[in-house]
Amino acid sequence: MAIIGNPKYQERIQHHLAKYETKRSAVMPLLYIAQEEYGWVNPEGIGEVAQILDLDPTQVKSIAGFYTMYSEKPKGKFWLHVCTDLPCALKGADDFYAWLKDELGVDDGGTSADGLFTVEHVMCLAACDKAPMLQCNFRYVEDLDQDKMRDLLAKWREEAAQPVSG
Amino acid sequence: MHILLRGRDIKNIDQLDVYEKHDGFVGLKASLAMTPAEVIDQVKASGLRGRGGAGFPTGVKWSFIPQHEPVKFVAVNADESETGTFKDREIMEANPYQLIEGSLICAYAIQAKAIYIYLRGEFWDIGDQLDECIERLRAKGYVGENILGSGYDCEIYTHLGAGAYICGEESAMLNSLEGYLGQPRVRPPFPAQKGGGLYKEATVVNNVETLTNVPFIMREGADAFKAIGTEQSAGNKIYCVSGHVKRPGNYELPMSTTFRELLYDHAGGPLHDDRPFKAMLPSGGSGPIVPLTDEVLDTRMSYEDCADIDTIIGSASIIVMDETVDMTWVASKVTKFFEHESCGKCTPCREGTYWLDKVIDRILDGRGTPEDVKRIADVAENMQGTTLCALGDFAANPIIHTIRRFPDDFAQHVQGEAAAGD
Amino acid sequence: MSDTVTINIDGNEYQVAAGSNLVDAAKWHAGNDIPVFCYHPKMEPVGMCRMCLVELGTPARDRATGEVMRNEDGTPQIRYFPKLQTACTTIVSDGMHIKTNTQEVIDARNDVLEFLLTSHPLDCPICDKGGECPLQNLTMRHGPQASRMYFDDKLHLKKHYPLGDLIFLDQERCIQCARCIRFQDEIVGDDVLAFHERGRRLQIITDSDPGFDSYFSGNTTDICPVGALTTADFRFGARPWELTEVPSISPWDAAGENISLSMRLDRDFGGKALIKRVMPRQNEWVNEIWISDKTRFGHHFTRSDERLQKPQARSGAHLQASTWSEILPKLAGVLQAANGDIAAIAGSSVANEDLWELRQLVEGLGGSRLGSWMPTHGGADQVARAGVGLGTNLGELGKGDAILVIACDLEEEVPLWRLRLKNAQDRGAYLVVANARHTRLEDFATQGARNDKVVAGDAIRYASGDAAAVMHSLGDAHPDIAKRLRDAENLVIVTGAEGLSLDESGALAKAAANFLIETNHVGRPNNGLLVALPGANGMGQHYLGFTPKATLDIIANPPKVLIVAQAEPLDDDPAASSWLSQIETVIYANLFDDGSAALADFVLPIQSFAERDGSFVNGERRVQRFYTAQGPVGDALPAWKLFGNIAQPAGLGRVKPSAAAVMLEISQHVNAFDGMRYKALGKVERQFPDVGGRDQYYGGTAYNNTGGLGLQIPATADRGKKLNPLKMKTPEAMQAAEGEVLVMPITRLYNRQRNFRPSLLIEPRIVEPFAIVNSEDAANLGIIQGDLLEISAGESQVRLRADVSDDIAVGAVAVPRHLTDAPIPMCATVGAINKRAEAVASGD
Ligand SMILES: Cc1cc2nc3c(=O)[nH]c(=O)nc-3n(C[C@H](O)[C@H](O)[C@H](O)COP(=O)(O)O)c2cc1C
Ligand code: SF4
Ligand code: FES
Repeated sequence: MAIIGNPKYQERIQHHLAKYETKRSAVMPLLYIAQEEYGWVNPEGIGEVAQILDLDPTQVKSIAGFYTMYSEKPKGKFWLHVCTDLPCALKGADDFYAWLKDELGVDDGGTSADGLFTVEHVMCLAACDKAPMLQCNFRYVEDLDQDKMRDLLAKWREEAAQPVSG
Repeated sequence: MHILLRGRDIKNIDQLDVYEKHDGFVGLKASLAMTPAEVIDQVKASGLRGRGGAGFPTGVKWSFIPQHEPVKFVAVNADESETGTFKDREIMEANPYQLIEGSLICAYAIQAKAIYIYLRGEFWDIGDQLDECIERLRAKGYVGENILGSGYDCEIYTHLGAGAYICGEESAMLNSLEGYLGQPRVRPPFPAQKGGGLYKEATVVNNVETLTNVPFIMREGADAFKAIGTEQSAGNKIYCVSGHVKRPGNYELPMSTTFRELLYDHAGGPLHDDRPFKAMLPSGGSGPIVPLTDEVLDTRMSYEDCADIDTIIGSASIIVMDETVDMTWVASKVTKFFEHESCGKCTPCREGTYWLDKVIDRILDGRGTPEDVKRIADVAENMQGTTLCALGDFAANPIIHTIRRFPDDFAQHVQGEAAAGD
Repeated sequence: MSDTVTINIDGNEYQVAAGSNLVDAAKWHAGNDIPVFCYHPKMEPVGMCRMCLVELGTPARDRATGEVMRNEDGTPQIRYFPKLQTACTTIVSDGMHIKTNTQEVIDARNDVLEFLLTSHPLDCPICDKGGECPLQNLTMRHGPQASRMYFDDKLHLKKHYPLGDLIFLDQERCIQCARCIRFQDEIVGDDVLAFHERGRRLQIITDSDPGFDSYFSGNTTDICPVGALTTADFRFGARPWELTEVPSISPWDAAGENISLSMRLDRDFGGKALIKRVMPRQNEWVNEIWISDKTRFGHHFTRSDERLQKPQARSGAHLQASTWSEILPKLAGVLQAANGDIAAIAGSSVANEDLWELRQLVEGLGGSRLGSWMPTHGGADQVARAGVGLGTNLGELGKGDAILVIACDLEEEVPLWRLRLKNAQDRGAYLVVANARHTRLEDFATQGARNDKVVAGDAIRYASGDAAAVMHSLGDAHPDIAKRLRDAENLVIVTGAEGLSLDESGALAKAAANFLIETNHVGRPNNGLLVALPGANGMGQHYLGFTPKATLDIIANPPKVLIVAQAEPLDDDPAASSWLSQIETVIYANLFDDGSAALADFVLPIQSFAERDGSFVNGERRVQRFYTAQGPVGDALPAWKLFGNIAQPAGLGRVKPSAAAVMLEISQHVNAFDGMRYKALGKVERQFPDVGGRDQYYGGTAYNNTGGLGLQIPATADRGKKLNPLKMKTPEAMQAAEGEVLVMPITRLYNRQRNFRPSLLIEPRIVEPFAIVNSEDAANLGIIQGDLLEISAGESQVRLRADVSDDIAVGAVAVPRHLTDAPIPMCATVGAINKRAEAVASGD
């Protein structure tokens, strides 16, 4: 696995490098690519991004650490970001999240025993009229309740059990 | 009539041909036929003010850009991360071309080389959609070299943030775009000045909603816009209503509308009929909280009227709370938000948000004392006005104003076993 | 006057320099110490700690007319900002008013300190910075009396987090001022530190490999305003208030960094004073407030157990320990018996006083040959003619100016020059780096200054050995570059000897001097020549008559008696044992035995720079004093006294009572040193920025310069004499024949030299021996990266690892000095490379 030399990413990397006035500006899009490749922003990814952008790895690591959407540790296949900010909490998001953690047997920030789900509470995701809600791998899932969530978990578990197709 | 949320009136206006059919790019074409200075004058005359929160007159901001500078940029603020705000998202999902048109008009008015749309990272699918729009527009000559034969060149790019509220602050956003930590910059120089903007070049930063108003202004004229709203607050505004109402959502209404009309006629009144409204945060987590009294409800949702009730309309993210809500808990929720989002650059904000969060938890847990309440009010006061950007002030607001306006909610937590035990 | 403005501070008016920073102006002109944490006058303001808040007002202007609005009495109306403003991000402007003593300001300072202290561990009693800590000082002056934060609420973080081998971070003490990050980025150009996470979790990290490992890392511990950064050398070593600061000069290189030796009487050292730490001492002309890590951490040799303790004399096959009273008359006898066939070789860090007394001794006894060691670098004579002008301050070079660095690797040879010249480039100077291979400075020349899209620099690569020719005909081969250099307002050229013979480096310096003279860049401040001579006193050797030419002559025609003073020929020169063994009597005075003692007849212990007074002349010809700090080791004497002690029984006059007396004599006899008595060298004046004073906002107490700023020797060009370019013939560049290579000795800052080895802390940073081989040559020879090579050149034969690279000229092999135990050739020499089979794992 690698980003550099991986044909899958060449075009996107070139696109991002062309967008900005400086190479350094491409550090955020490239970190997303690293996260996509490795599942998290691991040291290899940081090293490669640094190499592509001619930056010291420390600078890349610094950026990865500042933003919450880069994970600096391995995470599950499904990364659930549950909004528990005020508007959602007014609509029961805290209870919903407590239930969800229970359901998956994890603490905040933890990964379920089967390695499938990493859950984290997050601040407002701009979906306050559709609370409770979450993002699963950064895709919006809105107007949730326990029943809907149970179905979704089942669906995702099933998805994960499918053999990966090319 | 919707000026902004036109997706609600016109089906498929997110399709280029539909958008074109419904007055799409008329404003841009009108602008290209004018000199940049004339465009700026028209926007100035419209009275449009920034919808990102601060309400700065948009045309005036554009006029600050030094014309002789060879390189200039437009940065579109689509970071939309204020608690309770979800209006820019709907604009971009349902009416993306109008935002792009407005951005191009702005770019032309300041003769920018390129436009960067800074989206919060969670909006990546909107980013993809905008990228597609941009490619379609390029194919039809709206973007790129020699736009519509005018001789003016401009590129548009999207950039994704990655989970940091502070990147909505304009100078932090520029740092983030340049690949640095999203921390605010020292000002002056301001973004509009050489040295202060993107890549140190003069740059206009405008909110999505602000720019989405511009095509209307250039198409229908400044007076048509000015005719809506109040003297100092022209035009429509999108109000994001969340919390304890029956119909939460975005409502685009003139800036002369009252809170009562919004909350009762449009949002349907209290979520539970037997639980009357208690309070609202009219500008997400960052503005002062107000009790929902009759006086407040009858206030117009304009910049100037909100000042009269000691709050701000800001980005108009109106979080409504009914009588069951404990304001100490609200203060704690909002404080957690700012503790999580403080970039850490300025001492009072970095340390203050952490400290407030610790003490308010203590109070909420029943371990606090009346002294603690006074202390956090004082600590919050000490944060105000001492930081590089307004986040430090925002973070102080929930503490200061919940304590000031709902003292009983705090008293109940710090009165010892007897009161807490009921 | 347009270059000053009037500002009003707390009701008093001051004339201050236009464009200056408000914090600096208030401190300099009004003695008003606006408290700061993140601000540092050497770096761009960031306005993040919020400690420097003041009330700020400017004259109100009428919106329509732009006229200043006036009060009834005609004074301008002052409009104050509604909020307090950070002084550190404010540039003074005419009519500006500030208030620093109002209740609002006092409260704000108190509040910011309270915020900072909420997270602070308050472990001052065990903190290395205790006693010289800005946070501690400012808390005493402006801070709250007691913490209002619950102790349980404090965030607990790592207390001993190594950022590298040399620097530790205490995360709890860090106040997130970013001075360390900014120093590495802005001043050094090695952005290996950064913040990680955000908000209260913001922490300093490094993710580089190796970690925090720049040659200047120690400076971050000085500018850190709390005890968050400490050096592995000094951590828990002593409390600052137990230390006595003794002014000194770095003994390592031509920069002549001003330092303070922080001394403490120590049980482990027989109750004598020993060096607990080395700190920078402010000298804006020389090193500002920075020193290299070699200077800071390389001091352990001064009290090493391996130091020579007693004088020894040969008796038969053995050296026998003796006493001075026994040995001195013997020495005098041997010297007198030589009938004038006496010569001396002195090392490159031998002090002026020692050189003078040695010269008196040799010449007094009829000898004339005074050699400088190592005989590798020519050009000192050109520095004396056309060296940088009187009053030069590399810190003033900037926009419109130009710098050429040719045939040297400044980062490794004179790191502080590299730092200051890179800073000059950041200020806008045009930087050209010319060499036969890639060097660190070349990166700056080609990749440009910080935050600047226009690269203010160029690189020239030439075939090895061509340096002098390139310099001589710069205008022909590189007309654009030559033109920019010629047209520069100020021009400094730095030459070295990389890849060159002694003759060639001399010719290079001559060609550089000619270019400077022809383009009218001599005899003025910030213009002229620098040569990266080895050691701390290369220019002192020149002025006192010790030359590399004489050394070569001594090697070629060995004298009867040779005095070797603080030089290690056996470590440096593969041929040393063969020529040393032809000499009847070798008198060897040094701190350590490099093995030469085996060939010596007398071995005499002398003192290090730390144990005695003395002076060096740096590359900018600044004569600088150092003072006695450490207790003496064994029977070692200061070298000047030793030579005087030998001279006295030989009938050459009495031993001088002090180093000062020696300098007095030098100043009376050697023109260059005219007026350079110790008193004059010890003069100090107020320097900008004002650091290290009582307030200590900017770091430790040791910055304070009480030892003197030194005095520059005028170059010929400074004496009002018009210089003419010298006729020159560029020497025929050495040519390697088919199958041969040019072995090019290069310098590594961290190496296995005798004096450096006792500083064990840096040992892990000394790299394995390697040789840089051009990839084309490597392909021809079947060499790949990491192969074991044997390189033979002249009498040298060394084994090292191949570092195959495109960053070196074809036909050249760069081999670092002093990494291998066996010496490599001193100057560029034709030789051969052979690939060696790996030794079979032992087991037999
Ligand atoms: C902490 C902070 C967060 C902000 N977040 C946003 C945001 O998410 N979106 C936005 O448009 N403006 C935000 N702003 C306001 C911007 O700094 C800026 O004023 C605005 O983008 C200007 O555009 P406008 O004049 O069109 O309103 C924020 C300001 C601060 C201090
Ligand atoms: S380690 Fe010291 S210099 Fe670096 S940020 Fe922390 S307090 Fe400042
Ligand atoms: S903000 Fe001015 S010194 Fe830190």
